[in-house]
Amino acid sequence: MFNYYIKIAWISILRHWGLSLLMVCAIGLGIGATMTTITVNYLMSANPIPHKSEQLYYVQLDSWDVNDPFDEGQNPPDQMTYTDSTNLMKAKKAFRQNVQAQAFAVIEPSDPDILPLIVDGRANSTDFFAMFDVPFIYGGAWSASADENKEQVVVLNKETNDKLFGGENSVGQSIKIDGNMFSIVGVIDHWQPKPRFYDITTGAFNESEDIFVPFSLIAEEKIGRSGNTNCWKPSGDGFQAFLNSECIWTQFWVELKTPQEKQSYMTFLNAYVEEQKQYGRFERPLDNRLNTVTEWLEVQEVVADDAKMMLAMALMFLIVCLLNTVGLLLAKFLGKAPEIGLRQALGASKSTLFYQYMIESACIGLAGGLLGLFLAYLGLQGIEALYGEYMQGLATLDLNMMVLAVTLSLLATLIAGIYPTWRACKVQPAHQLKCQ
Amino acid sequence: MLVMKNINKIFQTADIQTHALRDFNLTVNEGDFISVTGPSGSGKTTFLNIAGLLETFTDGEFTLDGKDVGSLNDNGRSKMRNEKIGFVFQSFNLIPDLNLFDNVDVPLRYRGFNAKERKARIEANLERVGLSSRMKHLPSQLSGGQQQRVAIARALATDPRFLLADEPTGNLDSEMAQGVMSLLEEINKQGTTIIMVTHDAELAQRASRTIQVKDGRVSELEIVSKQAIA
Amino acid sequence: MLETGLIFRALMRNKIGALLIALQIALTLAIMVNAIFMIQDRNQQMSRASGLDEANTFYLTNTIFGDNYNKQVNLQTDLHAIRNTPGIVDAIQINAIPLSGGGWSMSLQHEPGDDKDTIGSALYMVDEHGINSLGVELIAGQNFTAQDIQWRESGSTKWPPKTIITQAFAEQLYPDNWRSAIGKTFYISQTQPMQIIGVMKALQAPWNGWSGVERSMLVPFHMDSKNSRYFIRTEPGRRDEMMPIIEKLLAESNKERIIRRVSTVEETRQRSYQRHNATNKILMTVIITLTLITGFGIVGLAIFSINRRTKQIGTRRALGATQWQIMRYFMMENLLISTVGVVIGSIGAVALNYWLVKTFNLSPISVELVLFGVIALFVVGQLAVLYPARRAAMIPPATATRTI
Repeated sequence: MFNYYIKIAWISILRHWGLSLLMVCAIGLGIGATMTTITVNYLMSANPIPHKSEQLYYVQLDSWDVNDPFDEGQNPPDQMTYTDSTNLMKAKKAFRQNVQAQAFAVIEPSDPDILPLIVDGRANSTDFFAMFDVPFIYGGAWSASADENKEQVVVLNKETNDKLFGGENSVGQSIKIDGNMFSIVGVIDHWQPKPRFYDITTGAFNESEDIFVPFSLIAEEKIGRSGNTNCWKPSGDGFQAFLNSECIWTQFWVELKTPQEKQSYMTFLNAYVEEQKQYGRFERPLDNRLNTVTEWLEVQEVVADDAKMMLAMALMFLIVCLLNTVGLLLAKFLGKAPEIGLRQALGASKSTLFYQYMIESACIGLAGGLLGLFLAYLGLQGIEALYGEYMQGLATLDLNMMVLAVTLSLLATLIAGIYPTWRACKVQPAHQLKCQ
Repeated sequence: MLVMKNINKIFQTADIQTHALRDFNLTVNEGDFISVTGPSGSGKTTFLNIAGLLETFTDGEFTLDGKDVGSLNDNGRSKMRNEKIGFVFQSFNLIPDLNLFDNVDVPLRYRGFNAKERKARIEANLERVGLSSRMKHLPSQLSGGQQQRVAIARALATDPRFLLADEPTGNLDSEMAQGVMSLLEEINKQGTTIIMVTHDAELAQRASRTIQVKDGRVSELEIVSKQAIA
Repeated sequence: MLETGLIFRALMRNKIGALLIALQIALTLAIMVNAIFMIQDRNQQMSRASGLDEANTFYLTNTIFGDNYNKQVNLQTDLHAIRNTPGIVDAIQINAIPLSGGGWSMSLQHEPGDDKDTIGSALYMVDEHGINSLGVELIAGQNFTAQDIQWRESGSTKWPPKTIITQAFAEQLYPDNWRSAIGKTFYISQTQPMQIIGVMKALQAPWNGWSGVERSMLVPFHMDSKNSRYFIRTEPGRRDEMMPIIEKLLAESNKERIIRRVSTVEETRQRSYQRHNATNKILMTVIITLTLITGFGIVGLAIFSINRRTKQIGTRRALGATQWQIMRYFMMENLLISTVGVVIGSIGAVALNYWLVKTFNLSPISVELVLFGVIALFVVGQLAVLYPARRAAMIPPATATRTI
């Protein structure tokens, strides 16, 4: 019987091909637009490290100006002072902890004929690699003592290793960075979390860094820092004065395995701030925060307003397309009143008729879904072309999205089909037959 | 006066030519009640369509109330239909979405009467067919005979000189048919010229004049039966 | 002759069909009006003048990596060499580029102290060639002199005593009369006095989304920086020709640095507003497709309803309706449906705008725009129904006598 319904649906679709085409196009466009924006939102709000996102916490301390609170008092500062992050590092109260800042460097190849290479760097603690599950091809993270002893060691990413060493195992070799020799301890595989959750302050969708060096080298001025710096109090002259200032430019992450650990870490933070208050710091009320990766992405509003707005627009767009489909299906099914009357006279029950017309709706929905998938693919290409770098990697359809597209389309069309089908089934056979 | 002289109507499709009317001649006088009979496919409906200005003809001369119909454009024909001709159809052709009042109102709107005049005419004509109490009903709430009465009221509302009826009783049972027929006769007595196409010989004989159409030509029948009745 | 009442009553017999179209029109109107509004808003943002001579300026980054590089001497040498190259109007060292997204801002205050109200401004470090190199217009006061220029050590927190600010900034500081800003003193870094010696017409901050984008100030500094930018203005029309010449000149004169990111201000503007442009294009696509869908929806439904009413239309013709009267019927019908649609849609547009204002900090929509949308949709509706209505008018009156 199912095959028969499909056949009848097919005949009906072909018979009114103009109307059917219009419906398929309307649904396709609606689904295409919706899927395009859903995909962008989905990828923007993706959990970049799902298996441990609930164990990684971003630490915020409210060290800001008592007269002019950060973010109008809604959130503590989004970065930490050098003083606080080094103190927390030394305390080692978490299972793992990482202090980091963005860096910037020039690599001078030994061969004078090759032009120097300008790279983005990250200055971080050794726990960075273990906390964020950074995959290594060669070697590994530097030791904890390298952090403490300010050793000149470096981890390269795959792309930089390819450029400098043609992809060979370079562990043990040395390179000249900003005039100093660094020895290579590891090479990581291609690693690009989207969003780049571990540092949102310099762009949640920026690329990950080319080189990684111990954070302690910044204080030694062996590596130049970049990224955002935010100050509320004049600091005084010189680099040492800057390090001791209330300027925020470091980021601090901890890994805590259990809720108990989180609890005790929070207690530790509060005690730390209370202690600092004695030195005349932290004049604002106690407001320390521990946000998991997902919470942190949400607080920082990683999903762009544009993307949310587009999603809202696309959903309304889909509603228009569905209204369109309801109208067209209604017209189509009501136009079939004589046929429906005849079928009833020949023994079709209301439920079989309902079934038949729902199948016809579903066929249109399926076709619309496939068209929508294709349009979403084009739409994402278009978005990538229009937005450029900003949307790199955020505009790809994965299997989840494809299944969602077709499901959404089927569901939408079936919903759109209910009223017209119900109306069609209400046709009085006697009336129809008599009038003809 | 309706005068047709040597009217020809040829339907031309891609490769078939159908001669629906051949040198068709007919004069209808004021006050006539003419019935038109003939086998199906003989050209009855084509004749009625042309007489009612629903269709154009290929050649010949056709004057209606002294006006040369052949020279009229579509708008002119519409206007003449509206002013001089009333139609009654086999399947009534009432507009299902409109109630009786609004149905009768349709041609009056096209004529452009003011609201007061329209209301008066609608009420008078529904009264005339005995349905003034059901003005707010929809056609689907009426019996076939009642629907045809509404159609007649609609046809008469514009005070046409000619009433063209196409198998007006074809969709009705005999009792209802009798009623509709009596109504038409009464209307004829009040001065409206009626041309009625029918295949019912008995009804045809109730007309003052009967013509038969065969192969697109007209042949006048002797008005024997009527005289016999008389 | 108006048959509005008749059409309305006939429509009421098929409420759902008409309501579906009306709702489509309503949503289309709501979306269309707000999308156009957002486009206008972005266009307006993009059309603000940066204050620069955009067509004839470019900049580059000078990255120093050698140990034996004398920054102070080399800066003088570089600037001297660039300024004396034929085709170049002027050149400066600068800390940031307008619209580029990265720069420096400071809080300024009328009174010294750490608890006073402050106002933020973008800060550009330039020398006495700044005004000329950027191509900004000095509308009051005077420029820096060579004696004003100080050497800023990296990490220094001392500020020079003079500054030139934009008119927009002056208006904000001295709302009564911006011209009175000349000679006034405000405080930077809470306690350091700074005197306003000049006002320029416009110079945008590096951040296009910042509400204070029109507030910026020039500070007379040369910088001791491993990464500094040179901003160069060429004679009109010679920019593209001069870019490689200057890059080569600098790269060859000293091997202990890298000259990179040579780009024009026009490119920077384009990159700066790339998302604006992209969003606008997408919104435009949305408007067009939405209008098309609604239009074709009207066409489809009208054709269908006309096909269903063929006999009725024939009857009307038989009863004396002219072709124009038939067309007018359907156009009138569409007008009625559209009216319901735009009434709902106007309310929807305002509601949607209210939500956008609340959620995304947009400004409220103008009545003119809603009116424009209303008219546009009436036109779309009439155009869409034109073809079906013509088809209806072509139905021969003889259809009335045809038996099925």
